[in-house]
Amino acid sequence: MSPALLSVEGLRVGFRSADGGMVEAVRGVDFSVAPGEAVGIVGESGSGKSLSMLAVMRLLGAPARVTGGRVILDGEDLLAVDEKRMRALRGRDIAMVFQDPQSSLNPALTIGRQITDVVGAHRNVSTREARRIAAEALERVGIRDAAGRLASYPHEFSGGMRQRVLIAMAIACRPRLLIADEPSTALDVTVQARIVDLIAELRRELGLAVVFISHNLQLVAEIVDRVVVMYGGKVVEDGPVEAIELAPRHPYTGLLKACVPSLSGPVGPLTAIEGAPPRLGRLPAGCPFSPRCPDAVEPCASEMPALVADAGHRTACWRPR
Amino acid sequence: MTGPILSLRSVCKSFPQGGLLDRLLGRDSRLVALDDVSLDVMRGDVVGIVGESGSGKSTLAGLAVGLARPTSGEVLLDGQPMTELMRNHAGPWRRRVQMVFQDSSSALNPRKSVARCLGETLALRGVPKVRRESEITELLTLVGLGPEIGPRLPHELSGGQRQRIGLARALAMKPEVLIADEPVSALDVSLQAQVINLLSRLTRELGLTLLFISHDLALVRTLCSRIVVMRKGAIVEQGPCLDVLERPRHPYTQALIAAVPKGLAGRRTPSPALADAGADPETREDIHGAA
Repeated sequence: MSPALLSVEGLRVGFRSADGGMVEAVRGVDFSVAPGEAVGIVGESGSGKSLSMLAVMRLLGAPARVTGGRVILDGEDLLAVDEKRMRALRGRDIAMVFQDPQSSLNPALTIGRQITDVVGAHRNVSTREARRIAAEALERVGIRDAAGRLASYPHEFSGGMRQRVLIAMAIACRPRLLIADEPSTALDVTVQARIVDLIAELRRELGLAVVFISHNLQLVAEIVDRVVVMYGGKVVEDGPVEAIELAPRHPYTGLLKACVPSLSGPVGPLTAIEGAPPRLGRLPAGCPFSPRCPDAVEPCASEMPALVADAGHRTACWRPR
Repeated sequence: MTGPILSLRSVCKSFPQGGLLDRLLGRDSRLVALDDVSLDVMRGDVVGIVGESGSGKSTLAGLAVGLARPTSGEVLLDGQPMTELMRNHAGPWRRRVQMVFQDSSSALNPRKSVARCLGETLALRGVPKVRRESEITELLTLVGLGPEIGPRLPHELSGGQRQRIGLARALAMKPEVLIADEPVSALDVSLQAQVINLLSRLTRELGLTLLFISHDLALVRTLCSRIVVMRKGAIVEQGPCLDVLERPRHPYTQALIAAVPKGLAGRRTPSPALADAGADPETREDIHGAA
């Protein structure tokens, strides 16, 4: 395997609770992303997938904070560098787009200004050159009359186009890693499909590494090389997309796939996962999925299984399939 | 009885657009949310209404449940016009047509316990006080919850449990028609299946007519016998669910089907079906049509 571009090691994120204790939401997460690789992080709400990546970007807001681990980007521990260095890396080497394009854009500034601000912060270029770079980025994300649209305000764009603007902003400085946090979830399905197409295309053309966070395994499987499945703040499975899709080893991954209906095959009752996703601070000592797991056995609830690697496929389960 | 239980006859619904100044200057316009929509829903049908934002599917739900009146056209329940049934008060209509909302946390009063919420609904139906407690337990059982949920407040419940309470509250009126507006889109995928299976079972067991409003074609396929595809305030295609999904005729239906994530089978190469549907709407006007 080629040396990792991003390597997350033993990452822990916690919240200070009302009684002064710490509640952990990300509980020792390890995974890595190779240069140019596309990795999907899949999990339900509360799995810790978004918090992990916000921690990578050092964008966690109080009361959440990193309580342990390292985030190595190209040999440099992002959790150890000072804020000035982090600001230089953020937007230039590593960029992120969020679920809600509406609240990620400043409604009072033209999109041209917002993209050129990013360019100006990282590259020593003239205003004219910054505008040219901004227009080029807009064009690359499929916005027609890009140079003309620089003067437009966010409210003049539809939701899908706003997400394109954010992606343009993220890629304007040619980062090596793009983190996309549910970038299409708030959009209509046909627009969603095009945003996913766009990210796949940019990755191919620019050689970007992509981390695509989603609750939808079927969506992620269309564009990534590898899938990391999270549950209850832990990585429960991590493997090549084909293996995750065709032969998942963790019972949660299998059920996650089975409970989403498809447009083909027989029609019948859906496979349900009984119970509810775990709540923070009320996780079992062992495997977080054990209370809902149909295969749970003796050690499952009391002892957390290790994430065991087997030919590039890691599974944390006492009874893998 | 052979006639449709719920009918829309050439229904239009529009909303005024623009501020007071625009109106004073005579520059006001109207946003057309539904444009000449006719639909018959037969008793016992499970109809999926699909479309994207701006398609008018939620406006249609609001009209069917009596939360809004059409600008023109008629809505009929069992052949009787809404205007007649609601002349004196909306009670009879509302009793027969009930709704489950998308966002269960804002659809439930945060200060009222589950038992009180259901109790008040039962009172509206005229259930005497002495029988309410046992009916509450029955309703909770019906939606797969235990009586221990009764004293809880909405914020103490999970999203899936809250959505079940929303369903129990609708069923407390013993409705004939149930309208569910994106009832699972706010839920985690592992909970969606639970609620969909529950809806499917209850519809069958209670002989309900269900209008299931969703943007998720695969869910509609699982649950519904008929499908109605809407776009920009109009019905573009309808028919038996499996037929339409297997042999879609309208390009928009085809684009919707092409956009459903398909996992490995959908590995990305540029998709011609999507290109046919045209580019993303670039501006807000593109979405809402000429305003």
